[in-house]
Amino acid sequence: MKKNALLFFAFWALLLECVHAQSIVISGRVTDGTEPIIGATIYLKSSNTGTSTDANGNFTIAIPANGSTLRISYIGMKTKEVVIDPNAANVALAIALEKDELQLEEVTVTAIGEQRILRKTGYSTSQVKGSSISSSGESGVIQGLSGKASNVLITKNTGDPGSGAFIQIRGQSTITGNLQPLIVIDGVPMSNSSIGGGVDGVAQQSRLNDLNPDDIATVEVLKGAAAAAVWGTRASNGVILVTTKKGKRTGKKSNINVEIGSSLALDYVNKEYKKQGIFGQGSNGSWVANAGGSWGDKIANRSGTDIYNIGNQRFVAEDGSVYYPITSKGDRTVYNDKNRDQVFRTGVTFNNNISLSSANEKSSIYFNLSDWNQNGILNGNSDYKRTTGRLNFSHTLNDKMKFTMNSFLSKVNSNRIQQGSNVDGLYLGYLRSAPDFDNSDYVGTYYNAAGAATFNAHRGYRRYLGNAAIAYNNPGWTLNKQTNTSDVTRIIVTPELNYEWAKKSILTVRAGYDISNDRRVTYFPVTSAGNYVNGGFTDDFIKQSELSFHAYNRNTFDINNTLVLNTTFGYLYTNRSLYNIGGTASQFILNNQDRFTFINSTSANRDPFNSVENLLNDRLYGIADLDYKDKLFVQLTVASEAASTFKGRFTYPSATVAYEFTKDVLKNNKVLSYGKLRASAGIVGVEPPAYIWSTNYVNASSASGWGETLEGSQFGGSIYRSSVQGNPDIKPEQKSEIEIGTDLKFFKNKISLSATYYTNKTTDAIFAVDVPASTGYTSKWDNAATISNKGFEAELNVKVIDNSKLTVGLYGNIGINKNLVEDIKDVSSIFLAGFTGTSSRAVEGQPLGVFWGGKWARNESTGALALDGNGFPTAAVSEGILGDPNAKWRAGFGSTISWKGLDVNILFETSQGNQMWAGTSGVLNHFGISEETVNETTVSAADAALIKNYNGETIDQLATANPDGSYTVRGNISDFGNGRVLLDQAWYTTLGGGFGSVSEHFIKDASWVRLREISLNYKLPNSLLKKLHIPGASIGFTGRNLLLFTNFDGVDPELNLTGASNGRGLDYFTNPGTKSYIFNLRLNF
Amino acid sequence: MKNMIKYIAVGLLTAPIFMMSSCQKDINEINETNPNAFNDSDPKLMITGAQLANVMLNEGEAARLAGIFAGHFTGYDRQYVSYGLYNMTAGDFNSPWGTLYAEGIAQCRIIRSKAAVSNDKTLEASAAVTEAHLLLTASSLWGNIPNTQACSGNPTPAFDKMSDVYDYCIVLLDSAISKGGASSAYSSAYAGSFTWGEVANTLKARAYLHKKDYVKAIDAAKNGISKGNDFYAKHETESPGAWNLYYDFLDYNRPGYISCENSFIHALLDSTSAKYKGNTKTKEASRYENYFLIDNYTPVDPNMYSGIFAPTSNFALVSYVENQLILAECYWRTSVFDKALESLNNVRSEHESNFGGYEQYVSADFANNDALLKEIITEKYVSMFGSIEVFNDVRRTQNLIGVPINSGNKLPGRFLYPQSEMNSNKNTPAANLLDVLELFN
Repeated sequence: MKKNALLFFAFWALLLECVHAQSIVISGRVTDGTEPIIGATIYLKSSNTGTSTDANGNFTIAIPANGSTLRISYIGMKTKEVVIDPNAANVALAIALEKDELQLEEVTVTAIGEQRILRKTGYSTSQVKGSSISSSGESGVIQGLSGKASNVLITKNTGDPGSGAFIQIRGQSTITGNLQPLIVIDGVPMSNSSIGGGVDGVAQQSRLNDLNPDDIATVEVLKGAAAAAVWGTRASNGVILVTTKKGKRTGKKSNINVEIGSSLALDYVNKEYKKQGIFGQGSNGSWVANAGGSWGDKIANRSGTDIYNIGNQRFVAEDGSVYYPITSKGDRTVYNDKNRDQVFRTGVTFNNNISLSSANEKSSIYFNLSDWNQNGILNGNSDYKRTTGRLNFSHTLNDKMKFTMNSFLSKVNSNRIQQGSNVDGLYLGYLRSAPDFDNSDYVGTYYNAAGAATFNAHRGYRRYLGNAAIAYNNPGWTLNKQTNTSDVTRIIVTPELNYEWAKKSILTVRAGYDISNDRRVTYFPVTSAGNYVNGGFTDDFIKQSELSFHAYNRNTFDINNTLVLNTTFGYLYTNRSLYNIGGTASQFILNNQDRFTFINSTSANRDPFNSVENLLNDRLYGIADLDYKDKLFVQLTVASEAASTFKGRFTYPSATVAYEFTKDVLKNNKVLSYGKLRASAGIVGVEPPAYIWSTNYVNASSASGWGETLEGSQFGGSIYRSSVQGNPDIKPEQKSEIEIGTDLKFFKNKISLSATYYTNKTTDAIFAVDVPASTGYTSKWDNAATISNKGFEAELNVKVIDNSKLTVGLYGNIGINKNLVEDIKDVSSIFLAGFTGTSSRAVEGQPLGVFWGGKWARNESTGALALDGNGFPTAAVSEGILGDPNAKWRAGFGSTISWKGLDVNILFETSQGNQMWAGTSGVLNHFGISEETVNETTVSAADAALIKNYNGETIDQLATANPDGSYTVRGNISDFGNGRVLLDQAWYTTLGGGFGSVSEHFIKDASWVRLREISLNYKLPNSLLKKLHIPGASIGFTGRNLLLFTNFDGVDPELNLTGASNGRGLDYFTNPGTKSYIFNLRLNF
Repeated sequence: MKNMIKYIAVGLLTAPIFMMSSCQKDINEINETNPNAFNDSDPKLMITGAQLANVMLNEGEAARLAGIFAGHFTGYDRQYVSYGLYNMTAGDFNSPWGTLYAEGIAQCRIIRSKAAVSNDKTLEASAAVTEAHLLLTASSLWGNIPNTQACSGNPTPAFDKMSDVYDYCIVLLDSAISKGGASSAYSSAYAGSFTWGEVANTLKARAYLHKKDYVKAIDAAKNGISKGNDFYAKHETESPGAWNLYYDFLDYNRPGYISCENSFIHALLDSTSAKYKGNTKTKEASRYENYFLIDNYTPVDPNMYSGIFAPTSNFALVSYVENQLILAECYWRTSVFDKALESLNNVRSEHESNFGGYEQYVSADFANNDALLKEIITEKYVSMFGSIEVFNDVRRTQNLIGVPINSGNKLPGRFLYPQSEMNSNKNTPAANLLDVLELFN
């Protein structure tokens, strides 16, 4: 005891202690031929006593003086017996074990970043190989996981380059708290924040995208509470463990492997809205200049040429084209295709990687440089450039000490396109554009009737002469004139020390520092639509950092020859900080040059902002692993956590059991070759947001949902009480989970199946509970909700053919999750994301995220629509539940084929039963631009006198009779229950369209099936390589999202307008998704 | 086994050494104080925020909706097309209701209690006027509203009767008059050379008018806003967050959403319209110019560039014109027709000096007394462009001047209780947009 303690303190004084040797022992080292084997078992055959190897594969064992036979075994390796000659006991043994292909062990990574044999784990985990992520062709690590792990939902925000993604593991278990899993990279927590993401603006990146997918060795998804309990309040949404590549021995003379990889990706829009090309801009069947809708005249019936008033008043485009005031619209050209080609292009990405890998007895090194250069599918300022460097280095100083340093640097520059509910957004201006308007000339000079020029005039279909403010942007303007850059620098360093300070007692000390700076510039030149008619600019600097210190000590105790105990005690400290500073400038004073400086506005129009946030967590934990006869495995963990955001310490226990029953029953069964039952239970949490203990006094500001605002700072300054009430008694959310499952292998491991059932419940979920405004507050922070998830997940792998020439495998995964908001106090619904009219909400007794909004008024007893005098439905006074964005089930399935150096992977993915709010479609109906609104109906004179539109006008009042006496009118005939009615402009621009108060009819099924990925990779044959003097090379092709089957109109239903927010399933002029063709080449030297 | 205990003991002993900062108190300290906000404020600083909430209520979304229902505006684009047809849902009213209570009344009550402690009577008067103004406007739109239990710690405040809310406001205004009637201090969000006493008196007159207590209304109005001393929402800086809220909506945030195309007020002022209110003594051309802008976003926009809703046009909250027209109506209602005409002429001389085109009426100009009342109400309808009080007059007078109905056969009689209140306050009464409020039947 004393000696050990001394040793320990000696370590802290950075003194190296020599390891004392015992005299009656022999020592040796176990390797797989090259690398040391950790944890190999060495038994004395005579006495059945034994030991196991350390982190460097070394062991010492006492043997009888008369010699003995050692039996050395390790999972995945063939057991070897070595006869010891007592006379040669001083000679260190070098024992190399051969691989046993039949039972090659799969390993997993535990929550603290240590490797563990998968067979011995009592919880479910999904592992994805790094190669599978990098071959996906996605810039982000997370997006590359799509479809590859059961019950892991990955939703891309948009198809914009570098756009972030929303990750959800086993359903949503908190209301407004952080929903994203904890990302741990090489044992150190990493920020994956997506700051920003509302119903407008640009799609923000996730900081997880800063990583280079080529650096990833494996990604492990720990889904359940038990697996993650040591991470306490940060583990509620699961933990994703990313392990980066390490240097490896090459077997070559140079002992250095250089790989050069290059890829070219071509991206295309994967789903588009169809626009009508029959009726022109205008209203009530007549052309109207600058009108929003396309309810004008029939284009085909026009004279053929526009008639102009040629005078001083005109718009002169940059290319010299001149536009005069139109006095009579006659042009019959439909510009839908031309306008489309203005917006989309082929996205092109070049990705280059060079990596170097090497290792020897003492050291290993992995070095990578990469450059990703992407131009997005939107034909303008849409790009993403990422340069990364990584150096992972480890050095074994002596038998006891190993130092590791992983370091990573990333520089990301991108430019995005405004989207969403935003008059300066792309789709809003593009999709609404009238079919008879040519968007190509969007900037130029306007001359008024007196001939006076206005420069930098903005021309679009809402302002075809560019003579005044425009209602919304010409898409060309949005794409080319506006700037939305993000400039990120990221550094992650992870120094680590492993020290075996006593026999079978290894101390690991690991620090992590992750820092990123992001400068975001948002710039709208003068004459942009809406708020930015006089220009607007925001400079926003975000600094995030996370410092972590982690120390743990692992011990192994061979209690007797049937029972092994491993213990880990650890301490983890993390300090996260966020600093945001910036300002806005509006009402520019100089209009003709784009500069990102505040001097271009008066002081009344400059608005600075800043905020800081600091979070500390302090966690102690202990893990005990019991291994009984290598068939029953029990793990108990307990973590005790304190944090800056809550008072007191909270304890997070977990227990897992795994039983490999095929070691007792069904031994040597021909069908079932391996069987394990597992069960686990655990508690994890979600920490409260920072600074919610007291009610704040804030800058007085009053605003409506339409944007108009009064700022106290403009009236001499005012600080008053916030409308959000604080709560000093806030506790962390607690999520308890139980899972049971089985891992089975059949027919000599040809088929493997893993299935898990889980049920979890989050209590004390924190949110700002809506309180009646009449209390003086609009919300109050509270531990107020209970949410549960129940689900089932399974992963299946089948080796259909497996021989030296050909392997064919099938794989699949399925996840079913049922989410329920059990209790949200007395609040009937909580807004999560979306709009006043339609939102994604939490409603008691419903799954989280249900759509909420205006409904049709109905007869309470019959459920029939309550109709107005003309036979049209009416709006209900109260809002209600409209649908559910959560999928009933999700699955991924595919096949891998290897044949003569050719590797093929096909992955299909599906999501079934999820609904989506078709906000864009509804609004395109309002504007008469959707195909649904373009139908013409011919009715008899009798019907024409009878059938009314929403305004109560009959068809014969709306149209003139055809020669045969019938009437033809633009619109659809429908019947809501009281006879036929005409759905025309009167209906679609009011209650029947996307701006009406009812959104019930825009909730649509958004189930999909897609060919997520198809990849072909071909290793060039040696014969060819020899001729080329290249040691190794492969070429490959990956297709991503090439096929999409869905009934949802216009856009890929996997996207979500509000990004990684807590609300789901919203489509409102969201930038479109992509499909990609990726070609790559890899060379090895 | 002995070894094991030894190692576990070592493991446990080492752990506290690692606990570099795990002292519970230290770790919590950084969360005690929000570095981005304050824990308390000075009531003199809070009052401006409460006043801005009052401006937001009387000039923002509530005023636009009232204006649409009263025929001042037409819903022209997107969601407002439906609003124009009275297709409203409860959620549409969340925003003004939140402004009213959390940003307005709650702050006023904190300010009043803090001012009472520091014995700052003028500040009390200022907060009392703003609070009464908020409550009167709110009650005129929603009828029964939480008052006595509002902002008091009660989690589900009860709804007070409309007439009780009015009585409370009258008492509050009286206290303002006695505490700081001669002053106009603490009015950073407002503009004009008013005194709190004059503002409070005109608000009282407005309340009595709604209550049909015309005698008391006259008494109050006699001490109400005097000529040249209008009470405005201040919009003196051409900048978002400071400028005219109608301008903000009409040009900056939501161009083209509302219009005056086909509006009743446009018809009354358009000399080519059959409903033109002008006559031999009245030329509306100049006021028309001030009110409307032709062929901008819509064929007839409210004048957001150079007229009534220009960025730096102050918005009249309580005015001499209103005060005189209250007097005119109340004198008429109490059969003092000559005084009624005199008050109306006071308004016309005000318009004559502002716009030109208004000669003094004589009683012979009116065919009968009813014609005089109609002229008074019509003049108020036109004079108070954009004010919620016009919607109140339309309902109070059973639509005497014939504002056209856009949909169905009734004008909206009230605002809906907001979805946000219904969601969490079980005391929220049921309501229909067409219901008639207690005081307006």
